[in-house]
Amino acid sequence: MIIVDDVHKRYRTEHGPGKWVLSGVSFTIPPKVNVGLVGRNGAGKSTLLRLIGGTDTPNRGRIERACRVSWPMGFGGGLQGSLTGRQNAKFVCRILGHEDQMADKLAFMQDFAEIGDSFDEPVKTYSSGMKSRLQFAMSLAFDFDVYISDEVTSTGDAAFRGKANKAFKNLADRASLIMVSHSDSTLREFCSAGIWLHQGQAYWFDDIGDALKHYKESIAV
Amino acid sequence: MSVVVRSALSITCSTWKALLLRETVNRLAAGRAAWAWLLIEPLVHVAFMLTMFMAVRVTNIGGIDATLWLAIGLIAFFQFRRTANQCTNAISANRALFTYRQVKPVDTVLVRAACEGFLMLLVLIVAMCVLALLGHDVIPVDPLALLGALAGLWLVGLGFGLVSSVAVELIPEMQRVIGFIMLPAYLMSGVMVQIGAIPEPYRSYLAMNPLVHGLETARQAFAPYYHTLNDLSLGYLYGWALVLIFLGLALQVRFATRVASQ
Repeated sequence: MIIVDDVHKRYRTEHGPGKWVLSGVSFTIPPKVNVGLVGRNGAGKSTLLRLIGGTDTPNRGRIERACRVSWPMGFGGGLQGSLTGRQNAKFVCRILGHEDQMADKLAFMQDFAEIGDSFDEPVKTYSSGMKSRLQFAMSLAFDFDVYISDEVTSTGDAAFRGKANKAFKNLADRASLIMVSHSDSTLREFCSAGIWLHQGQAYWFDDIGDALKHYKESIAV
Repeated sequence: MSVVVRSALSITCSTWKALLLRETVNRLAAGRAAWAWLLIEPLVHVAFMLTMFMAVRVTNIGGIDATLWLAIGLIAFFQFRRTANQCTNAISANRALFTYRQVKPVDTVLVRAACEGFLMLLVLIVAMCVLALLGHDVIPVDPLALLGALAGLWLVGLGFGLVSSVAVELIPEMQRVIGFIMLPAYLMSGVMVQIGAIPEPYRSYLAMNPLVHGLETARQAFAPYYHTLNDLSLGYLYGWALVLIFLGLALQVRFATRVASQ
């Protein structure tokens, strides 16, 4: 369960504090519910994911994570370009305290990511699709209760999307997913509930279809 | 499946270990023979300065072998400067890692300092071996004083880095200021000038620089009869280290979230 209570967030700009990206966002994500985040560019979707993942802290309000939450996967964050995929993977195993099972975890990641020999090449040589495959594989190798995905499936090809979906269906009885995507089909495929971010506010919908409907109406005008 | 909650200490320890291994790989294996350049850079510097001194036929400085005097001074100064520079850039270089909430900005600075400390120890050993092969007497008379001086310089470098890494994140222009602090620091730390031979009152002014005390103590460890400052004090160096590290850690705590956010 994740409780987001009256969260405010703004970023510092060169001219002092910027405008509020999130102003007074409150909702509760129950356990084992897959949630999709929708909203226009700049509505604060990635910001909210970073706050939920603990990468950043809100200016006001609080976020309670009564479960194990993954780091936000997406856009090459958390991968160091000059190191190989394997070195990056080892680093994550170590900071998460799984050093004793490192061989198993690495084997799983290499197998799941299906990037072949590139696993031992520097990450900066990867395509964006390969990066998301690796990030996805890295976080799936650990038992989180909630996985956070920031558009990570959008760069994968159809085969990888199928695989990721199957992996999540298998996890459905013990883990859930919070994701951002601009693709309707991806959101409908993965998520049941939805959050629509609009003008610094968050609106919770039990059905992702309703969230998408409100989002579409807001951008149609 | 059992849920194990790790203690804060064990998370920090595993993060430090992971960062140290990653940092070392990055330093030693990035690019062609990167490890060789780490050693070559200070050694070439020593060799160049030595050639200059030889050209003016200086063989003895303050009663100590000029080659040894110069090599110790340079390596001791690099102990400070390289630690300080590496730490200053630690946060910006490891920004991608703050995606993992286990990694805090201060971790990257501390780990870089540790990594640089080990590397400089290797540089010192290699340099001493080369000098020994060239027939110089490189066995310190007071090894403990040498280690004390180098550790003090390393700690001052760490303290400087802790402060400056936050400073450059908050005020990007500080990067330039630190750049031009380093040259006067090099000239005024007695790397090339024998502080003991400078007349008063200027000697006392220069003695306010803590690095001078580290460098001169390191030299004196090799030759007790070395003519240096009368009031040489390692305590002064460690005092600076303590103050800088305290200030640095306080800044790291105060600005932790602002430095980590993008």
